[in-house]
Amino acid sequence: MAAAILSVLAALAAYPVVGTGYGVRSVQQIFMWIALAGSWNLISGLTGYVSFGHVAFFGAGAYAGAILVASAGWPWPLAALAGGAAAVVLAVVIGYPCLRLKGPYFAIAMLGLNEVLRALVSYFEGLTGGGNGLSLPTLDASVPIYYVMGVLAVVVTAMSWLIVTSRFGLRLMTIREDEVAAEAMGIDTFHHKLAALLLSAVGPGVAGALMARDQGYIEPISVFPLAITVTMIVMALFGGKGTVFGPVLGAAALFVAQEIVWARYPYVHPLLFGAIIVGVVLLMPRGVLGLLQQRYRLPRTI
Amino acid sequence: MPPVLSVERVRKSFGGVAAVNDVSLALEPGRIYGLIGPNGSGKTTLFNCITGIERLDAGRVSFRGERIDGLKPWQIARRGIGRTFQIIRVFPELTALENLLVVTRGARAEAERRGRELLEFVRLGDLAGEYAGNLSYGQQKLVEFVRMLMTEPTLILLDEPAAGVNRTLLNDLLDAVSRLRDAGKTVLLVEHDMKVVMGLCETVFVLDHGEKIAEGPPGAIQADARVIEAYFGR
Ligand SMILES: Nc1ncnc2c1ncn2[C@@H]1O[C@H](COP(=O)(O)OP(=O)(O)O)[C@@H](O)[C@H]1O
Ligand SMILES: [Mg+2]
Repeated sequence: MAAAILSVLAALAAYPVVGTGYGVRSVQQIFMWIALAGSWNLISGLTGYVSFGHVAFFGAGAYAGAILVASAGWPWPLAALAGGAAAVVLAVVIGYPCLRLKGPYFAIAMLGLNEVLRALVSYFEGLTGGGNGLSLPTLDASVPIYYVMGVLAVVVTAMSWLIVTSRFGLRLMTIREDEVAAEAMGIDTFHHKLAALLLSAVGPGVAGALMARDQGYIEPISVFPLAITVTMIVMALFGGKGTVFGPVLGAAALFVAQEIVWARYPYVHPLLFGAIIVGVVLLMPRGVLGLLQQRYRLPRTI
Repeated sequence: MPPVLSVERVRKSFGGVAAVNDVSLALEPGRIYGLIGPNGSGKTTLFNCITGIERLDAGRVSFRGERIDGLKPWQIARRGIGRTFQIIRVFPELTALENLLVVTRGARAEAERRGRELLEFVRLGDLAGEYAGNLSYGQQKLVEFVRMLMTEPTLILLDEPAAGVNRTLLNDLLDAVSRLRDAGKTVLLVEHDMKVVMGLCETVFVLDHGEKIAEGPPGAIQADARVIEAYFGR
């Protein structure tokens, strides 16, 4: 297993040397989706508190990073870290009120948060450019961004591994399984959920800032779309929520599928994605790895 | 010594109906108490009031001399009150052993050792790696019982532990309860099987329509006219 992972990582590290621009960009996108789906999984896959507004952390990171690069002249790697920090701050601010809500209300509150954030960004035009968007100084950093995004995907996945194999991670699962029983057994569920939300905000925040640097231009509709949340959710569900490598598998498989279908049948593409959501929920609620894990008694480390 | 648990004039209503009405009781350390009463008489609600799952409408609850009503359930649990549920609440997609591990802090290896020991003790050692949701009803009850023990409580609340459990398992369980008492723990037991209550408890409280109608040693309770009426009358 370790050898397999290391050879995949080595191949990915060597890829920009031989790959085309399109190829490098595509793999970088897969890295981003791994970071997003894996992060969503930390809060929603483990605790069962479904976040319908996870793109808010991505958008917050994108704007924080873009503003620091464009207005303060920060180097982009530093701005990317700041994007992660901004997302964590946002997670604290909304986690305190929203995580006291029960599951379904939390889901809706997170959806609302995203809309609020988008409105705020449009309103504070002086800083954000409002609806006109924000341009960054031109710079071709696609290969360095490829590597940083790759490291981010690895970090998020490693963090998932550490969490899922720890008692902290198991306690997060007790919240999904039976929150009342968890409390009655001495588990402080609120602070566990809060910690999970903070950890799940880092990846999207950094990814958002990297994406902003890579594209060179952001606007509210490009960094706060519901579609990004839906995509990360579908990827995590498809691969297996609550598992370590489920989001990795889901991100890679669905990104590739999406590219193929999108290129060939641009009009049925949304339809296909919708069909996958319904199919997964109905036929394979645990996702691919979740199913294998249950059926073959695989350890939690998959 | 102050009572381990003191419940004073506790009241809890649901939609105008008093599920627990002005109930007071005190538990001394190292004893097993019974809590009986017809279905719907408020036994489970009283447990929920003690463990912080329900907020009190009136009254107070003190544990080892300190007020605990108003605390969060997890805070109450950490102070040393453990419970099981009438309707099983294991964590189904965690293994039996993981169900026990999650309630522990401190060194993990030591927690695993103790967890396996407790599973052995209820004869579930071979099923430590099985998902709790795949175990039989009786086995899940045992997992819940030892999960509660993992928290090392000083006061143990058991809500109908015998219901749906076969004879052999039941005897193991009752044995365990006596041993806990011998180790100085206090137990409050909700049970319908009068034989169990009579054999185990020194003092029995009787609830009817949310009110405490009797308290005393099992023999006297069985002869109490109000208790007989609550169970067989009307
Ligand atoms: N969460 C609740 N909401 C509304 N009514 C409740 C709730 N819990 C208990 N009750 C009511 O309170 C009364 C006492 O119930 P309970 O405490 O479960 O009794 P017991 O455990 O003695 O059978 C019953 O009438 C029950 O319907
Ligand atoms: Mg009951």
